[in-house]
Amino acid sequence: MDRDREFARGKAVAVLVLITGSVWLTPAFAHAPLLDCYVEGDSVKCEAGFSDGTSAAGKKLSVLDASHKLLVEAVLDKTGAYSFKPPKGDYQVVFDGGDNHTATIYSTEIK
Amino acid sequence: MSVRLRAAAVTAAAGAIACMFPPFALAHFQMLYVSESALERAVETPMAIVFTHPFHGGPTMNMGVPRSFYVVSQRGEDAAPVKTDLSKYLQAIEWQGVGNKAAAYRAKLPREVVRSMGDYVFALEPEPYLEKEEDKYIQQFTKLVMNVGGVPGNWDRPLGLAAEIQPLNKPYANWVGGVFSGIVLSQGKPVPFAKIELEYVNHAPDLNAKAFATAGAIEAPHPSYENISVRADAAGTFSIGLPRAGWWGICALGVGPSTKHEGKPLSQDAVLWVQAKDMK
Repeated sequence: MDRDREFARGKAVAVLVLITGSVWLTPAFAHAPLLDCYVEGDSVKCEAGFSDGTSAAGKKLSVLDASHKLLVEAVLDKTGAYSFKPPKGDYQVVFDGGDNHTATIYSTEIK
Repeated sequence: MSVRLRAAAVTAAAGAIACMFPPFALAHFQMLYVSESALERAVETPMAIVFTHPFHGGPTMNMGVPRSFYVVSQRGEDAAPVKTDLSKYLQAIEWQGVGNKAAAYRAKLPREVVRSMGDYVFALEPEPYLEKEEDKYIQQFTKLVMNVGGVPGNWDRPLGLAAEIQPLNKPYANWVGGVFSGIVLSQGKPVPFAKIELEYVNHAPDLNAKAFATAGAIEAPHPSYENISVRADAAGTFSIGLPRAGWWGICALGVGPSTKHEGKPLSQDAVLWVQAKDMK
């Protein structure tokens, strides 16, 4: 009886850990989206990928201005990359890895 | 002369001889060294290329002009690997080891070389080195694996070197206290019971000063600890522990197919560098 209760409590804790674990997303998850962008000539090249080595080909990449207005919505090419002419002013690039897993980089970090 | 005095004299003489021929367990290691193998983002990466005995920081040996120096990079496990020749970045330098100076190389790899996220497997094929003491040549095919941004690629793929260690753990992501495994290969085929040496980079390399730190970080309790002997198993696979943060060199001896160079014996060795970090 006691053992059953212990087991039930253990199960409840495990479930709780799972729930909180999925709320506090840390970038070290096995399938975390990763993004980096750099200046290449007069363009900005963004490359996306996942921490487990999965390809980002066909996934979505968005460019938003400082007021979060969507400027560009693109599909990553077969190498998981996308190049664009940078807009004037501050902007951010968001890689949507699916399941609310996103990675963001700000224009101030793009060199 | 009393017995005790004579014993003291013998001890002193033995000590003097020991100083002339230090009882170090010396193992040669071709170094490819960067301060950080797991980069968050691309930065200019200076690399030191030194042929030495890393536990003692010397003696350091004169290197000839490397036969090849390149990187094979890959972003994502299914992506195509990209090979880039890096020989144009090789700059001949004098490296100050502990006790002597020797001809070595430095490569200031620009940010462009490591600009994409992914794995970077650097490879060096040096000119065979004549070890005069033993009248034989040593040629160490050396790999250093870096990563940028956390996207893995080809860290676990062999390059097809004559002598090579294929890692079974990411060489750039190891906790202190962890285990590192690999497979010893000769022209791509596993080498059963390969002889392996393991050595800690005990004298911190300083790329700006082109020198090793004079003082070592640790003292070995016995020569067997300076250069640790390991054997591969029947499948050519080996495992080592990583008890301290820093760089560890793994060298499989005489596993390459060529055994002669300019009429003398040749040992084609495979070297792989592994970086460990404290869990804190």
